[in-house]
Amino acid sequence: MLSRVANTIYWLGRYMERTNGMLQVILTQYISSQDDISNFTWGPLLKMYGELSDEEINKIEGSSSEALKYMLLNPSNSASTLNNIIYSRENARGIQDHISKEVWQCLNDFYHFIRDGNKIKEDTLADPVSTIDQLIRNGLLFTGTVDNTMVRGEGFTFINIGKFLERAIHTSDITRIKMNELYNDKNDTFDSMKLRYLLNSLFGFEVYLKTYKGTFTKKNVLDLVLYNPNFPHSILYSVERLYKYFCRLRPESLPENYEHMEFLIGKTMNNVKYTLANENDSKSLNAFLSQTRLELFDISNAFNKYYFGNT
Amino acid sequence: MNTNSILESYRLPSNVWDEMFTDQGVRTSYKNFVSAIVDMPPAEMTHKAEIAKKLFMSQGITFTVYSSGEGIEKIFPFDIIPRIITGEEWTLIEAGLKQRLKALNIFLKDIYHKQFILHDGIIPSHLIYSCPNFLREMMNVDVPFDIYTHVSGVDLIRDDDGKFYVLEDNLRTPSGVSYMLENRSITFRIFPDLLPKNNVRTVKEYPDLLYKNLLALGNRQRSNPTVVLLSPGIYNSAYFEHTTLARLMGIELVEGRDLIVNNNFVYMKTTKGLQQVDVIYRRVDDEFIDPLVFRPESILGVSGLYWAYRKGNVAIVNAMGNGVADDKAIYTYVPDMIRYYLNEEPILKNIPTYRLADEDSKKYVFENIHKMVVKRTNESGGYGMLMGNTANDHEIQNFKNAIDAEPRNFIAQPIISLSSTPCYINGILQPRRVDLRPFALFGPEGINIVPGGLTRVALKEGSMIVNSSQGGGSKDTWVLA
Repeated sequence: MLSRVANTIYWLGRYMERTNGMLQVILTQYISSQDDISNFTWGPLLKMYGELSDEEINKIEGSSSEALKYMLLNPSNSASTLNNIIYSRENARGIQDHISKEVWQCLNDFYHFIRDGNKIKEDTLADPVSTIDQLIRNGLLFTGTVDNTMVRGEGFTFINIGKFLERAIHTSDITRIKMNELYNDKNDTFDSMKLRYLLNSLFGFEVYLKTYKGTFTKKNVLDLVLYNPNFPHSILYSVERLYKYFCRLRPESLPENYEHMEFLIGKTMNNVKYTLANENDSKSLNAFLSQTRLELFDISNAFNKYYFGNT
Repeated sequence: MNTNSILESYRLPSNVWDEMFTDQGVRTSYKNFVSAIVDMPPAEMTHKAEIAKKLFMSQGITFTVYSSGEGIEKIFPFDIIPRIITGEEWTLIEAGLKQRLKALNIFLKDIYHKQFILHDGIIPSHLIYSCPNFLREMMNVDVPFDIYTHVSGVDLIRDDDGKFYVLEDNLRTPSGVSYMLENRSITFRIFPDLLPKNNVRTVKEYPDLLYKNLLALGNRQRSNPTVVLLSPGIYNSAYFEHTTLARLMGIELVEGRDLIVNNNFVYMKTTKGLQQVDVIYRRVDDEFIDPLVFRPESILGVSGLYWAYRKGNVAIVNAMGNGVADDKAIYTYVPDMIRYYLNEEPILKNIPTYRLADEDSKKYVFENIHKMVVKRTNESGGYGMLMGNTANDHEIQNFKNAIDAEPRNFIAQPIISLSSTPCYINGILQPRRVDLRPFALFGPEGINIVPGGLTRVALKEGSMIVNSSQGGGSKDTWVLA
């Protein structure tokens, strides 16, 4: 496979996963905002999914409609959902002959849906939950279409490598942000609420209930989102998948490149697997999450170097 | 309900050949089709037109216009009423095109080698050497199987006498074939059963034929040559076509930055290192293809590609330097070429053309400029033209000055009235002018022309400019068995 094509398809996977992740986080945040009248702010998310100065954030952090429009639909915000989809489609356009026709059409429909300017803006204002739900559904449709129509070749492998790498980064970021909110809040009566939101943001609420029943403890929540090998959004699951897809590249790789990458991914996987984060020590948890994030970025850089020819 | 409402509103233009109607009614070839739509309520027709538009949009059969920093998606307008060509007409077109392409291909071989045609005085040498598309770099380059014009799209029009004439020969990187294929796939969705009922010949085998020809050009020492399609990238207006063809042939779609030349061999950069490339179907123009030899600022091409080609280490389709054969001034000599090389009379006629470098012709054209269309010899796409019947005095004077300065760069033709055909516009059938671009594939085993082509239509009322860049659209083209 051409290096450029591999790079493009890998980023297609990353952008789409990023879109799915951010939509779920924004949806959860919106729902929680309606529960929490007193000191609610969109500030942290505007920072994460935008490029505004502190001053500009101050102006809109209290308004859900402004914040949502900015994060979902603003064309000048390079991290907006709109732009993610535009980038995904530009990428897909450049490699149309390597994805199935169905995948291309699905992404193209998503693009036209979100580009439909005024209509979606009005809908977002009228009922944000339905609009975000529809966007999420479009994202899930994309994932399913990839799974059902793409041949299990290099293209499929790279799209999944992008997807699981992005997912691992996303889970570590959201966990860090949400857990720090919890540690910083001295009043612990809302702890279980905050843990619920963390789980919801990572599609983990139902799984948690089924696994641990109705008790919300930091330890159990961290066990689920960091280590659970069967929860598709846990860091361990994501890295293990990343490793699994990477191994498929062996016959298509130059041996020395393969060895470098295999070492990096294997190391990260084992670091996650065999490091026990202490749920009551914010420092140790932060150190673990930051270290994991750093290693994931190293993996991304190594792909650039060994597989995409970008040195 | 008035069952004939769709037809009754149609006004036949005078002194123009209409593809569907005569004074006496519907032509035989269209009877089947017309009987299928005649009872259709206008709402249903409009619905079909909308479905077609949506299908183009959702399949991403679009080109992007970049203005004010934001890309706007546009579709190449499609009219749902097909254009029908009878079997007899096609037989003539096919024979005429084969004859013409055979002669043009020999001409290219000749002009880049011994130049008999110049020595025998058939074409004046100065015309060749003054042509900007004549590439001295191609002199004495031997191309595989002596084939230069692997893919060509010759534009034909029909005058009011009902005969087909050649408007221009596109022998460089003609585009539009993906629309021939996509238009057909839209038709069979919006008009179920009509294609088989009308005995319409299929166009599906185009990609297979093209791939077979490309493969045959690969180095004969290798059992499994690597064929790629070289595209300028996603910002090119024909990018959709490039991806479609690459996908239909199952070959790699590459850009200049994916290729590298080492020791006069071409390689592509893959995740597993460099892989040698044997055949390049390029959709990048000559002047951009190798910055070391042609335009040095080009980033679309590949440094060193020309030398790899010259040494025979890679085959390039179409050959470089074909522009000398489809130059508008050379066009006037094609009938002479056919007589000279093949000793045959041309089957398809040229439109009478005046070369303005010739003083008498120039004088005649200037006197009759209101009945003429003046064209620059090295431009296409409907640009650089003067329509004498609609231009104002100022425009005419500008053109006259330009002609006096560089007469070699201009030709003039009497204004030919392109044939008209009904288009479904604003809920009724209206006449619009059309041309026809069939696509011919020249391989080691001969010339194949897929029965069909791209019918381009000038959607503006009264307009005769069919180019997509100037408000043209397209139709599905049916060739009956």
